[in-house]
Amino acid sequence: MRAFHNTVLRFAACIAMMLLASFVPAAALAQEKTSALMTPELLEKVRRANNECFACHSEEGVKKPPRADLDITKLRPLAHDPKVFNGSNHGLMECTQCHGQGYTEFPHAADARESISACEECHAAKVLRIEKQLDASVHATRVKDKFTCSTCHDPHVDLIASTLIDPRKIVAQDNQHCLDCHDSELEFAKFAPDDEQTSTKKKRPDIDKIHEWLPNTRVHWQAVRCVECHTPATKTLSHEIVNKEKAERQCLTCHSASSSLTTRLYRHLAKEEQERLGFANSVILASSYVLGATRHPWLDRLIVGAFAAMLLGLLIHGLARIVARIVRRKKNHG
Amino acid sequence: MAEREYLISPWIRIWHWTNAALILVLGTTGISLHFADPNLPFVEFSLAVRVHNIAGVTLAAAYAFFVIANIVTGNWWQFVPKPPGIVPRLVAQARWYAFGIFRGDPHPHSPTKDEHFNVLQALTYWSVMYLLMPLIILSGLIYLYPQFAPDKMFGFDGLLPIAMLHYLSAAAVLLFMLSHIYLGTTGKTVGAMFKMMFTGWHEH
Ligand code: HEC
Ligand code: HEC
Ligand code: HEC
Ligand code: HEC
Ligand code: HEC
Ligand code: HEC
Ligand code: HEC
Repeated sequence: MRAFHNTVLRFAACIAMMLLASFVPAAALAQEKTSALMTPELLEKVRRANNECFACHSEEGVKKPPRADLDITKLRPLAHDPKVFNGSNHGLMECTQCHGQGYTEFPHAADARESISACEECHAAKVLRIEKQLDASVHATRVKDKFTCSTCHDPHVDLIASTLIDPRKIVAQDNQHCLDCHDSELEFAKFAPDDEQTSTKKKRPDIDKIHEWLPNTRVHWQAVRCVECHTPATKTLSHEIVNKEKAERQCLTCHSASSSLTTRLYRHLAKEEQERLGFANSVILASSYVLGATRHPWLDRLIVGAFAAMLLGLLIHGLARIVARIVRRKKNHG
Repeated sequence: MAEREYLISPWIRIWHWTNAALILVLGTTGISLHFADPNLPFVEFSLAVRVHNIAGVTLAAAYAFFVIANIVTGNWWQFVPKPPGIVPRLVAQARWYAFGIFRGDPHPHSPTKDEHFNVLQALTYWSVMYLLMPLIILSGLIYLYPQFAPDKMFGFDGLLPIAMLHYLSAAAVLLFMLSHIYLGTTGKTVGAMFKMMFTGWHEH
């Protein structure tokens, strides 16, 4: 009995592994692309250099500071997680590549903050493209404090969507940037403009209330990004956040066979569309079942066929009854 | 034997027509949602979602009422085919639909107080009410609160099996409904059985 039980379990595990394996290569490949330039020796050097900063700037460092003269209350909010940093876009870089001379010594130089490299120092072309979109965006015209790249992007944490791949993780990361403000009184107030009539700070509209027309609101927050509806559809993700009049409210944009999800959130996976088990938009199915989008064309045809057969059968039966009755009535009269 | 017999109590009739109306609404909105397509607008998507959710929860409530009322009144016994001779009566009923009805043969079964249903009806209704309905209602309720769906299954989202179950059981219910409406016309006259389901009186 036990042997049989084990066999069944092993068989089930085997199938599960096979199914899982079909997802792994994409993520593994992306990892290789960045690490290809990196030799193990070089990586070792980077990690060692960064550990000097992490000696203070981590949970460990806050608990067991390497020096007695540190202001722990100031250090605590500056703790970073080495694991998260190592897995981020900039995880293969040394801290000092962005944090220049002033930070290598402690106490840090008084004006060290000014010398933190701006994004455009290394990403000139990207910044040029993105800044134009940001300038056209609602945040450029209305908010009080200027939006910079790091208002949304944490260079120590973020991982770009094309590397993250898993849509649930992309959604969690990208929505967090927006919700940090739009779901927090404190953060929102820092940027909120003054209300024209009352000349007090504009109150933060409740994010769930604004989107009340969207059923299963919380389910959507976990399955799609704010930017899916709040940016114009372009070849690559646009940074232009449009106002509420221009935001997407057509359900069928996502909930139909020609779902825009495959060209937006799932664009990095869409190349791998294999119509698994015959489903349309089957890349979505690994993380969501989306009403109207992830249907099965053959099953649908089968079911429509069953209804046609049923209707035809009933129609024939009914007609036969009418004919039979006419025949019977003629016979009785004749 | 009486000309007319009072067979169907008010609660059954009220439940039956409530159920029928809800299934029509759920079928219409459900089809519209499943086949959502910008080129064939049927019921507007978000309206369909709202109507479908409300009707679905009402159907679940109506079903709970049906089950409880069946236990309390003992009406559940009607759904159990009674021996002896279940199989021969089943065959006789099927033969009547296939041949006898065209020859004008009399019904093999006449509803009585103790036996509303012929064997075929009892078996079909039992399966629909106690197998299909729980399936469609349960999958529907999970669909309404996807957080209760399994997280992942075989590398697919856990909502997929729930949604499939819901879709297939819905198709089965609607196929049943078509045949049920049609077989409703096979009474003494075309309208006789519909009339009975409104008035409660069966005309012998
Ligand atoms: C010996 C502990 C220690 C080490 C090592 C250390 N720091 Fe700091 N750092 C601090 C403390 C404490 C603060 C809090 C503010 C202050 O006192 O300057 C801080 C503040 C900072 C700030 C914020 C400064 C500001 O102006 O807001 C940055 C950025 C920073 N450190 C980067 C680094 C980098 C990069 C390294 C490694 C090259 C590093 N630190 C190494 C203790 C340390
Ligand atoms: C790609 C560039 C880049 C790299 C690499 C980088 N940082 Fe930063 N860091 C920044 C920027 C930009 C800011 C300023 C953010 C802001 O304006 O709020 C910052 C701010 C900080 C701060 C202060 C604010 C905060 O959120 O804690 C600390 C501490 C810090 N970095 C530590 C580090 C450490 C430690 C490393 C290496 C493990 C590192 N940084 C690597 C760009 C970088
Ligand atoms: C000192 C140079 C430097 C600075 C400053 C810098 N980065 Fe990077 N960034 C890099 C390098 C190197 C990579 C890794 C490229 C790779 O792995 O292919 C990278 C990768 C990225 C990526 C993902 C890869 C891609 O193809 O786009 C993003 C997003 C990114 N950086 C955003 C930022 C933002 C936002 C800032 C400003 C807060 C910033 N970076 C500042 C050097 C820098
Ligand atoms: C309003 C918030 C916000 C601001 C401000 C912002 N970004 Fe982004 N950015 C996002 C979101 C959301 C994504 C989508 C995540 C992804 O594709 O990885 C993104 C994606 C990116 C990407 C990867 C996709 C691409 O287009 O190449 C880069 C690079 C990037 N941002 C750089 C920047 C730079 C540089 C700035 C400043 C000029 C900036 N961002 C300002 C929210 C913002
Ligand atoms: C740093 C805080 C902050 C972040 C991060 C942020 N916002 Fe905003 N956002 C604001 C403030 C403040 C306003 C101005 C509100 C107003 O004028 O009513 C605003 C306005 C908006 C509006 C315009 C509303 C209207 O009235 O038309 C939209 C849409 C919006 N944000 C979406 C987003 C999205 C999507 C993201 C993430 C990519 C995001 N925001 C990130 C603070 C933020
Ligand atoms: C399904 C598409 C969709 C998604 C996803 C979505 N929004 Fe919206 N959003 C809209 C539409 C449409 C409006 C306009 C609503 C109105 O006019 O009543 C809107 C309005 C807003 C407003 C304007 C509020 C006001 O009245 O001033 C803000 C801010 C906003 N959204 C932020 C977000 C954030 C943050 C997220 C992610 C958590 C998000 N949205 C996700 C479609 C969407
Ligand atoms: C930006 C794309 C997008 C838009 C626009 C959108 N949805 Fe969704 N919706 C999704 C995704 C993705 C899911 C899957 C959530 C999950 O994983 O359970 C979903 C889930 C749902 C669900 C739960 C059932 C299911 O399919 O998982 C309902 C109901 C729903 N949406 C209704 C609507 C309605 C009504 C509208 C229009 C007012 C709308 N949605 C607009 C993307 C969208």
